[in-house]
Amino acid sequence: MHQANISRPITDPLTTSPSSIASAGLSRAPLSTGERAQVGGLVSAGEATEPLVHVDNLRIHFPPRRAPIRVVEGVSYSVARGETLGIVGESGSGKTLSSLAILRLLPRPAQIAGGRIVFEGEDLAAKSDEEMRRLRGKRIAMVFQNPGFSLHPLMTIGAQLSEILAVHERLARKDADARVEELLRLVGISDPGARIRQYPHELSGGMKQRVCIARALLCNPSLVLADEPTTSLDVTIQAQILELFEELKARFRMSMIFVTHDMGVVARIADRIAVMYAGQICETADASTIFSDPQHPYTRALLGSTPRVDQRSTRASGFRLPTIGGSGPTIMQQGDGCRFATRCPEAGPECARLAPLPLAVGPRHIVHCLKRGSAGEANHA
Amino acid sequence: MRLTIYIVRRLLFAFLLMVGVSLIIFFLVNAVGDPIELMMAETPGVSAETIERMKVHYGLDQDPLTRYFIWLGKLLSLDFGTSIIYNQPVGSLIATWGWQTFKIQVPAILIALAIAIFVGTTAARRQHSRTDFAVMSGALLGQSLPAFFLGILLILIFSYTFDVLPSYGAYSTRGYLWGSVVADGLWHMVLPVAMLAFFNTATLTLLMRSNMVDVLKLDFIAAARASGIPERRVVYRHALRVAVIPVLTYLGLLVGLMLGTAPVTETVFTWPGLGYLYVTAIHQLDYPIIMGASMVIAAMLIAATTLTDIAYVLIDPRIRLE
Amino acid sequence: MSDSSSLNASVLPDDAAVLARHKPKGIWRQGCERFLHSRTGMLGLVLVALVVAVAVFGPFLAPFDPHDQSAMLDPGAKAPPSWVHPLGTDRMAYDVASRVIYGAPTALIVGLGAMSIAAFVGVVVGGIAGYRGGLTDEIIMRATDFFLVIPVFVVILAVVRLLSSMVVNTPLESIPYLNLGTIIVLIGIFGWAPIARMTRAEFLRLKNQEFIEAARCIGATTGDILFRHILPNALPSLIVMVALGIGGAILSEAMIGFLGFGDPKAVSWGQLLFFNYESLKVAPWASLAPGAAIFVTVLGFNLLADGLSDAFNPRSGR
Repeated sequence: MHQANISRPITDPLTTSPSSIASAGLSRAPLSTGERAQVGGLVSAGEATEPLVHVDNLRIHFPPRRAPIRVVEGVSYSVARGETLGIVGESGSGKTLSSLAILRLLPRPAQIAGGRIVFEGEDLAAKSDEEMRRLRGKRIAMVFQNPGFSLHPLMTIGAQLSEILAVHERLARKDADARVEELLRLVGISDPGARIRQYPHELSGGMKQRVCIARALLCNPSLVLADEPTTSLDVTIQAQILELFEELKARFRMSMIFVTHDMGVVARIADRIAVMYAGQICETADASTIFSDPQHPYTRALLGSTPRVDQRSTRASGFRLPTIGGSGPTIMQQGDGCRFATRCPEAGPECARLAPLPLAVGPRHIVHCLKRGSAGEANHA
Repeated sequence: MRLTIYIVRRLLFAFLLMVGVSLIIFFLVNAVGDPIELMMAETPGVSAETIERMKVHYGLDQDPLTRYFIWLGKLLSLDFGTSIIYNQPVGSLIATWGWQTFKIQVPAILIALAIAIFVGTTAARRQHSRTDFAVMSGALLGQSLPAFFLGILLILIFSYTFDVLPSYGAYSTRGYLWGSVVADGLWHMVLPVAMLAFFNTATLTLLMRSNMVDVLKLDFIAAARASGIPERRVVYRHALRVAVIPVLTYLGLLVGLMLGTAPVTETVFTWPGLGYLYVTAIHQLDYPIIMGASMVIAAMLIAATTLTDIAYVLIDPRIRLE
Repeated sequence: MSDSSSLNASVLPDDAAVLARHKPKGIWRQGCERFLHSRTGMLGLVLVALVVAVAVFGPFLAPFDPHDQSAMLDPGAKAPPSWVHPLGTDRMAYDVASRVIYGAPTALIVGLGAMSIAAFVGVVVGGIAGYRGGLTDEIIMRATDFFLVIPVFVVILAVVRLLSSMVVNTPLESIPYLNLGTIIVLIGIFGWAPIARMTRAEFLRLKNQEFIEAARCIGATTGDILFRHILPNALPSLIVMVALGIGGAILSEAMIGFLGFGDPKAVSWGQLLFFNYESLKVAPWASLAPGAAIFVTVLGFNLLADGLSDAFNPRSGR
């Protein structure tokens, strides 16, 4: 087992989050320049290139403004070019909202209350609405959870897809159709020439999701946001769609943020994994590290409660699948500290008060937990 | 193919409805009593001999069932009989007066539809905003404002107080506006059309808004936005296409409502339309007109609902027909 | 973010869900609380209460008897509003204010009477169709469709007129308010179709739900299931329909009266309009007052229905 307590507070190298540096500095001895460089190296794995997208201390609130419902609180992560980040968490843990925030398409009345999102070196908050629109579908594309609902019911597949090309690339009708057909073939749809004249209701669920994936890839985006793209599908179709994602990842060398609640799915698709609970990030690490050396109590509980083939839950074997005690926090009771504290077997009194700051516990492995040595931060709100 | 079958079935049902309506109208009018005797009971001093002659003249001496079939047969050849008070063929009366009804109802519905689509969509895009609240309140008020009361208010303001628009009739009785029949006719249409359009707008706007609010929350709208399609296009091309379907379907019902209340709205403006003709006929117990006009109103109503049902299927490819 | 989320959803951005999870309450409690917070609903309630109060206390409020034509001598007919006649006098020198006040009970009787008939027929017919299903359902619903497309108002006008001329010189003529009664019954029997449709839909929806199955399992009788389990659950939607229908019935009666086919012996708003519309130019108050009364009453019932439907179907899109 890995050594749990490498007590070294960490801030992401690109981050200029004053609050975290300041409070980290307060509770710990300041780092020397060398150490700082080392930490930075740990996080970005020594790559000189900047990440494609970098989310820093993102906060999303729902009104009322005076006592906002803080659905996403201090989320930070980066995705390097060509890398797939899996974001895992229960439904309602804010993972979908944080990816919609990248597109600046939060459903009303949710609002970005703080933090920065940097994409290809540019702060997205500084962009105009029109600039954002030109980014969407072209540089950043999204695949939605339910393909049955995310295609226009009254437009043919071809019309919907070529419209996007018309908007972004100003392609002539004929060229657009050719490109649409090419992509449909690429995502494994047979006879695309006939399919483009069909309506969504004439296609199966898996087919529709393939169309949605083709739609996302139309303009060759550098980042694809996939929001639970397999959840609403049958298990066998799920496997096919996952396979398709793996194939396309290799082929297009795009970056991807893959949001899911299914540990098994991220295990297949993600290079790095961020585990979220109730709007906070618990732990971020390379995919293999998360499975081999989970540090955060929530990650451990989550892995512990995932059924495996070699376990038999029978009366005779005496084995029962572990569950996480208690129930998820309601919107009404968001404490100031670690939100998992109420269900955490290891929680101490300080956990409910202090929000855990990121701490590097290994190479490219960050955990947010006071019990693993994270610095605590009293609430700022 | 299934579509053809559906349309044929729908038309058959419409035909059955018409037969049912004709039965109701004929027997209601006749069950109450002999129309000629009823009429004459209110006009004293007509000799029994005259009454007898009139009965023979209007074919009332036969038994009701035979008369029903004779009447139905004549209806099929568009022969509605002869009006007692106007002494003209009911068919041509209905055609001339019906055209006047058409002239105010159709523009009113089109104007209302255009306003409702724009205002309803705007309100839906700013749900819970002040604009939205104003639109909702206005529409709720407008929906409860009885059309004829609105007509009275319009007449008081524009005809009596400011004296800018005529309060009755379809044309001036002496001298046309600018000497032009067309201008005069349009000038007379302003108030009745405004009244009908206002009423339709309120209802259609509420419907449009609530559909649009629902549609804008759907995933495919989020997906269109996430694909970088301009917002105006997302709303007016993608969302509207779906949100407008229930509104169009409702048009059928609305046409029915407007025709059904035409007797009232036309009376307010003394507008020489089908509804006004019907009211006069009822007052005078001119039963060929009563039966003819109500048959025509029923036919238009059934046609409107049937057409919207069929249009609904044609617009929406999702509807699976069994 | 829907399907499996409801069990462990922790941060669902939906205020209705927040309210619902806070403390479980009965559907009626919840509905009433939401209703009390709805601006439109409360305004509707106030307006309806106002009309009811006027109807009940009318005789004490009205300055004159509705049949008092003594003003003919002093301010004369078509006199503008004054201290004695706050809303003026009309074409026949009746006091407009008094007549409008005495019109309130007539309007309410029409609304309630017609809707009682419509609701009774509608619930029975729709209930049978929804609960029995199959061929019964098919036949009943076709009949309902029929009633939905016929031009009701046009038919009612003809029947009212013909009936009133038929009773001339018969003993029926002496029945008080026969004409008004006929109008109420006609509005009622031509107004049940929408209610039947709604009831059927609700019964269809409810009869296959688990709690009905559970009731059946513990041996509840058909009557029990219908009246103790299904009907109470269908009630909120029905109440909304009835509230809307009362406003509609009052409006229908007013229109019938306005066209001159109302009960000549009853004091009703439509009747007032009919008598005074000709003198709109000289005595607008005599037409405006009853018109405004109709507007306020219909508005009250419409707003009430709107508030109720918001309160009982919070997800209906508003």
